[in-house]
Amino acid sequence: MKTGILAFGLSAATVMAGPALADKLDDIIASGKLRCAVVLDFPPMGSRDADNNPVGFDVDYCNDLAAALGVTAEIVETTFPERIPALMSGNVDVAVASTSDTLERAKTVGFSIPYYAFENAVVTSEKAGLTGWEDMKGKTVGATAGTYEAIWLEGKVKEWGEGEFRPYQNQADVFLALSQGQLDATVSTMEVAEANVKSGNFPGISIADKAPMVPDYVALITLREEYGLINYMDLFINQQVRTGRYAELYKKWVGDGEPANLSIPGVYR
Amino acid sequence: MFDTALTVNDLILLAKGAGMTLLVTAISVFFGTILGIVFGVVRYQIGPWWAAPMTFVLDIFRSIPLLIQLVLANAFLTAVLKLKMSGFAVACGVLSLYTAAYCAEIVRGGIESVPLTLRRAARSLGMSWGQDMRNIVLPLATRVALPSWIGLALGVMKDSALVYIVQVVELLKSTQILITRLQEPLFLLMICGMFYFVISFPIARFGGYLEKRWSND
Amino acid sequence: MFNYNFRWNQAFNSLPQMLEGALVTIEIAVLSMMIGITVAITLTVFRLSGNRFLSAIATTWVEIARNTPALFQIYMVHFGLGGFGIHLSPYMSLLIGIAFNNAGYLAENFRGALKAIPDTQTRAARSLGMSSGQAFTNVVMPQMLRIAFLPMTNQMVWAILMTSLGAVVAMNTDLYGVTSELNARSFRTFELFAIAAVIFYLLTKAITLSARLLAARLFRY
Repeated sequence: MKTGILAFGLSAATVMAGPALADKLDDIIASGKLRCAVVLDFPPMGSRDADNNPVGFDVDYCNDLAAALGVTAEIVETTFPERIPALMSGNVDVAVASTSDTLERAKTVGFSIPYYAFENAVVTSEKAGLTGWEDMKGKTVGATAGTYEAIWLEGKVKEWGEGEFRPYQNQADVFLALSQGQLDATVSTMEVAEANVKSGNFPGISIADKAPMVPDYVALITLREEYGLINYMDLFINQQVRTGRYAELYKKWVGDGEPANLSIPGVYR
Repeated sequence: MFDTALTVNDLILLAKGAGMTLLVTAISVFFGTILGIVFGVVRYQIGPWWAAPMTFVLDIFRSIPLLIQLVLANAFLTAVLKLKMSGFAVACGVLSLYTAAYCAEIVRGGIESVPLTLRRAARSLGMSWGQDMRNIVLPLATRVALPSWIGLALGVMKDSALVYIVQVVELLKSTQILITRLQEPLFLLMICGMFYFVISFPIARFGGYLEKRWSND
Repeated sequence: MFNYNFRWNQAFNSLPQMLEGALVTIEIAVLSMMIGITVAITLTVFRLSGNRFLSAIATTWVEIARNTPALFQIYMVHFGLGGFGIHLSPYMSLLIGIAFNNAGYLAENFRGALKAIPDTQTRAARSLGMSSGQAFTNVVMPQMLRIAFLPMTNQMVWAILMTSLGAVVAMNTDLYGVTSELNARSFRTFELFAIAAVIFYLLTKAITLSARLLAARLFRY
């Protein structure tokens, strides 16, 4: 309460002092701190190590961005449905949270160029025994609320007109429900699906098929009007690829193989 | 059941979460009670008509899910007013007002339970309003109000499980963090539930004991 | 200071969906109260029975319901029972979770109400030839429900408010679930939740008011 009143007074004072001219990029550099929203139940992009410290591709990416800006990174854990509200409410400066660059979201937040691309997999509980993605028709399926996969899957269930869609609050609950047999199948990114199947934490699940979706390009996000920061992030992503850091992080967190191509042939960004 | 991958570090994380739960509860109950007493006394003094606007506003806090109060307050303060507030400050602010709304009712009920004749007698003995409030109303009203207040404080502790929505890592959230990593949901949830129970149960019993004892004489 | 762009129109377009959600919220609250009252009466009978096993069940139920967060209880119904292979839909998980909570609080209210009913009444009923079951259902219970009417109204309001916790078990058809799903698409957080708040407020007021009217009809002397 006290802090609230104090903050209110302070902000009233700032307003009276005239509009602030600095944009978010200046604010971040001045404050010496970059607050990143990262989703930490989304291995290998974000998870926690044995000491419960945040680790993963997105965590490293946030640290790299902070280092480029010359500030320290602060990882703020959010769930998928909370990541954009957290950004809008100013609890974080940017989200490094595997956010798919949908046109719907672009009405609200500002996207950088893609920094990663996922393919999605259909994961089934062995009891349900799905073999292809079409088998999901009429089944109980679920995904993490507010994600690209969830929106796609819910649309499919509506299109089929049978079966049930359940939006859980986080990725862990989805896999828990799948492993308990409460769900017959889910759609998640290939990376997450493989990591979860391999971990052995969720007995009785397996990857059934690739989901027939266009590759899921994910980007960094900040407020829509922060062009300075968006430009900076674009260049930063370009530099990450150019310097080989992108391939290095891919190797570290995802494994051997070629990281996905981030440019789309035949079109300008 | 005890074959678990839980490490000392994980227990520290849980303890931190529990500490956050207790801290948020303590701050909210402290400020909420002070505000609640002020609102309750004012409400009683100026009568239901003049207090109607205040009663209306406080009633809102008891008629809307706490989860929505938190989401709305966070969106309003930080996205609309563009204040730089931590989730912790928002959580404590909302929970304090939430507590105050219930506490005001308890305080009013307590004051109303003191027979008016007794207070008139006190005033006719030459006591000032302040003396009357301090020496007559306070001790008698406390007897009526304290058991309900204990119930309220415990309610706030349990309801503080919802502040995860404004990015505060309290007990239930830290339990979820561990569940994500260790995948031992039932075991970890048991620990979490036990914690709430161990704090809440004895205090609730103590409240019941006070209520029984004080209502018998 | 207000350089936030309110987009009320966009949010108001979703009003029909939200009102449909409100119906589901009412449905869950009403059903959970019906289950809750039935179970609470059973638990009260267990406590009065003098059977140690039965009253231990009742006490455990009441203490767990009253001393742990409702969010925890609902989560446990879904994922806890799920661990034992009992699979409940989000709707059922939420309904049973709230009913569990209701039953615990109501049983405690009933216990308080019973204290206000003199023992002599039961004895009088028994001496008129009623069995102890008849004495309870015909003499004690109606009075108990009447005395506990106000706490029951409060619990009904609580049941409405508790439906907002269904999101943790993937519930997406109630008022809160619909609102948060709309929010996940458009991110008009403030506008959408402000509308949801008004609907919740009206729902709780409607319940308190109709309870008052009902009480006036039922408890006329």
